[in-house]
Amino acid sequence: MITAILEEMGSTTLFFGRVMKTAFHTQGNLQPILKQIIGVTLRSLSTVIFAGLFVGAILALQFNQMLVQYDAQIFLGGLNTSAVVREVGPLIISFLLAGKIGAFTAAELGTMRVTEQIEAIECLGTNSIQYLIVPRLLAIMISSLLLLIIGLMVSVGGALLVAVLYAGMNPVQYLSSIPRFTGVWTISCGLLKSVIYGTIVATVACQKGFNASGGARGVGRAVTTAAVYTNLYIVLANFMTSQILDSIHQFGEFIARVLS
Amino acid sequence: MTIRFDHVTKSFGPKTILNDVSFEVAEGEILFVLGKSGMGKSVTLKHIVGVMKPSTGKVYIGSTDVTQLDDEGLARIRRKCGMVFQQPALLDSLTIYENVSFGLRTPGYVRSLERPLTEMEIREKVIAKLRLVHLGTEILDRKPPEISYGMQKRVSLARTLAPSPEILLFDEPTTGLDPISTRAVNQLILELSRQLKVTSVVVSHDMACALEIADRILVLDQARILALNTVPEIKRSKIPLIQEFLEETLQDPGTGGAR
Repeated sequence: MITAILEEMGSTTLFFGRVMKTAFHTQGNLQPILKQIIGVTLRSLSTVIFAGLFVGAILALQFNQMLVQYDAQIFLGGLNTSAVVREVGPLIISFLLAGKIGAFTAAELGTMRVTEQIEAIECLGTNSIQYLIVPRLLAIMISSLLLLIIGLMVSVGGALLVAVLYAGMNPVQYLSSIPRFTGVWTISCGLLKSVIYGTIVATVACQKGFNASGGARGVGRAVTTAAVYTNLYIVLANFMTSQILDSIHQFGEFIARVLS
Repeated sequence: MTIRFDHVTKSFGPKTILNDVSFEVAEGEILFVLGKSGMGKSVTLKHIVGVMKPSTGKVYIGSTDVTQLDDEGLARIRRKCGMVFQQPALLDSLTIYENVSFGLRTPGYVRSLERPLTEMEIREKVIAKLRLVHLGTEILDRKPPEISYGMQKRVSLARTLAPSPEILLFDEPTTGLDPISTRAVNQLILELSRQLKVTSVVVSHDMACALEIADRILVLDQARILALNTVPEIKRSKIPLIQEFLEETLQDPGTGGAR
């Protein structure tokens, strides 16, 4: 089981390297990338807004229940935003993107593979990685980042709604506590994780779709494995990045203390 | 341009699809590859354009060993080849016009010209190739799913012909076509071979077509070449599988008749 996962991770990394090599070694064309970015973003925007709203709202409900017990409701805005931006938001929204963008891309490329469209492109003297994968992969990476930023902003709004309408807080009081817990570091962590998760969604979906085989069943298999491995890699990446970023943060604080 | 298979073996895991296969196709020749399903006919075609690589052996186009080429080298060779797939393999997101003109816009094709084609020239070429396969301009702006399967197959053929390849590879070109279109496609293969010296390899089940237009017929069975002969020799063959194919042709004269 572990060997199989490691093998999968290896082949996904090699695929990503191959796509990046092609992207940097061939003449780029921005038009297909922009077309893909617009398509991917618009396709997933409503889902991300809906999800973001509820992610923020649900967390606000939970935090509020706990903070009320300790008479610390004034920290709700800061705690909630910090948790959403740094951990929960990128994780849940990227899971949704894996289901929405990832599944669509794996199915689209898988169908192109089993109906010989990719071979036809190659036989016409076109590099299929350059023509099909580079624009999709770059577009999904950029779109995922955009969508995650939008989702995180909406989730803050969702949490604010709960704080005002359910917990009876003053919006100014709620918003004023945000900078105390959510600094540049927290936002940077959220953005970095968004980039990593977006890259995972894009790479796994493109790899599974591009390498699909065996007719309709093969396309189904590609979509399923893309979803499973994307979510698995995101969880693993979340654990590792959280650990690494915490270590960096602690080291930075240590250095700051020593210098002061 | 010639094609040569030099002791080619292709295996997928434990299953050997081609076993020590060697043959040569001369310039302008029409070679029909016959055999039952799963006998490696399509695999043979895919080796010629380097979509598949042999487990052992070499495949030559002219004097170039296709098996040793990198992506750039393969793109150069593929510019000289045109392949018609078993399925139409048209890009669903593009219109018929964009599909047929696809090969005329590839960087490799554009580099091979003295100057890039204007949009008007591209349009003229697209319309001319569609006419060759009995299709009109009314479908130019449609997407592939909006036209019938038979029309998609003919558009696929027009797309392959658009960059004027020196080698044409057909994988079941007439499957799903009506008798008139089948006859037109066979006539086209014959004309391209005789007038423009285009080398053609046609994978088919249709012995009637093979007897009508092939220069030679290659029969694959159990991963090996069972026979590689001219049409008169194939007609005289006593090999049971070939007899079977010939008997079926007599029962159902098919849709040949290009000559």
